[in-house]
Amino acid sequence: MADFDWPWEYNFPPFFTLQPNNETRTRQLTVWNNLTRNYYKHRNQSSLDINEDSPLFCNNALKRRLPTEGRLAVMEHLQGTGHAAPLDKRRTNWQVYWHTLDEWAKIIYDWSQRTGQTNSVCTIYEISNGDNSVGEEFHELDQDVVLKALKLLEEQGKCELMLFDDSQGVKFF
Amino acid sequence: MRRRAGLGAIQQQQLETQKYKDKGSLIEDSQFVQMTKHMEIFREKLEEFAVKHKQDIRKNAQFRRQFQEMCAAIGVDPLASGKGFWSVLGMGDFYYELGVQVVEVCLASNPSTGGIMELSELRRKLIAARGQKSIHQEITEDDILIAAKKLKIFGNGFVVYPVGKGKYMVQSIPGELSREESSILGVASNQEQGSVTVDLLMKQLGWTEFRTQQAIDKIVGEGLAWVDCPDSNSAPTYWFPSLFPGRKDT
Repeated sequence: MADFDWPWEYNFPPFFTLQPNNETRTRQLTVWNNLTRNYYKHRNQSSLDINEDSPLFCNNALKRRLPTEGRLAVMEHLQGTGHAAPLDKRRTNWQVYWHTLDEWAKIIYDWSQRTGQTNSVCTIYEISNGDNSVGEEFHELDQDVVLKALKLLEEQGKCELMLFDDSQGVKFF
Repeated sequence: MRRRAGLGAIQQQQLETQKYKDKGSLIEDSQFVQMTKHMEIFREKLEEFAVKHKQDIRKNAQFRRQFQEMCAAIGVDPLASGKGFWSVLGMGDFYYELGVQVVEVCLASNPSTGGIMELSELRRKLIAARGQKSIHQEITEDDILIAAKKLKIFGNGFVVYPVGKGKYMVQSIPGELSREESSILGVASNQEQGSVTVDLLMKQLGWTEFRTQQAIDKIVGEGLAWVDCPDSNSAPTYWFPSLFPGRKDT
């Protein structure tokens, strides 16, 4: 992770204390929001466990870690902007979307039109890991996230999801 | 026995005093006329000089500063007169332009600084914003102070505070810092990391804990400082993003 470009706030000790002043806190959470998305984009990951002391929430050189309530505030802020969703009721496991699902849906649909996938069936694996999508932003994206984006497209009538034996396929219109 | 002063002597004395006075005011008048003449000539020379060296004044920071000092000495403000001779010089333009840039730079930084910035940092940012030509690079902190003074007409949204040791903080959000607040700012700006604790402030300013806590809470409330409280057992530290070296380097 040596080449990840941390914002200056990451080395600013009070960044790891949830700020009491409303305006400052809004500013703080906005920076956390961007940082989390960039960090997950950089690692090409999407699942986040609030209790895990990852480098994102812990700056060991600075001896600072964001406490649980702070992490929850960050995740709820991300949820508010459409960049995360909780996976369990206790809100400890989260999915981070560095593009919102709406944006992913549009990106994937545009790709399908551009590469002439219309009216033919492909699997989700092909979308996220196939030769056709090399170089696309969603290449090697979590398949669960791809599926959620496709469900949005299905609601808009732009594709149809179908179940094969144990893998899912999709047909774009 | 001493002779008493007669009426004639008194009249004589009064006459003399009157004559002295007349002579005195005559000399005074002629000196005044002379002086005015000198000043007039000096002013003319200064104007000639200014026109001749217009380019140097605009380009060379040291030159500009000395010229400013000369003007101040004879009571001419080359910025104040928007029309007439001095407008030809375009000195006002230089500072108005700088003033606009000062506002732009400050407003752009407000979100991350909370609305205050060190003068030295402002200068660096201005230079970066003004482009690479050496004529743009030659601005001094004095120039910025002069330009910032012009911004006073916008009310208290733009104020420069001296914080000691020749340092200044430029505030670019509405509102006015109290004396307590600017004292705290002064202490913080002399800390390496730009952070303070209540203990440190009490020691340096000789205040009671109550007064210190109230003042620092107000500063936090205005978004000028952030609270660092890594665990609930230790006293919090207050950090000014505007003074934080790690931000200024970016």
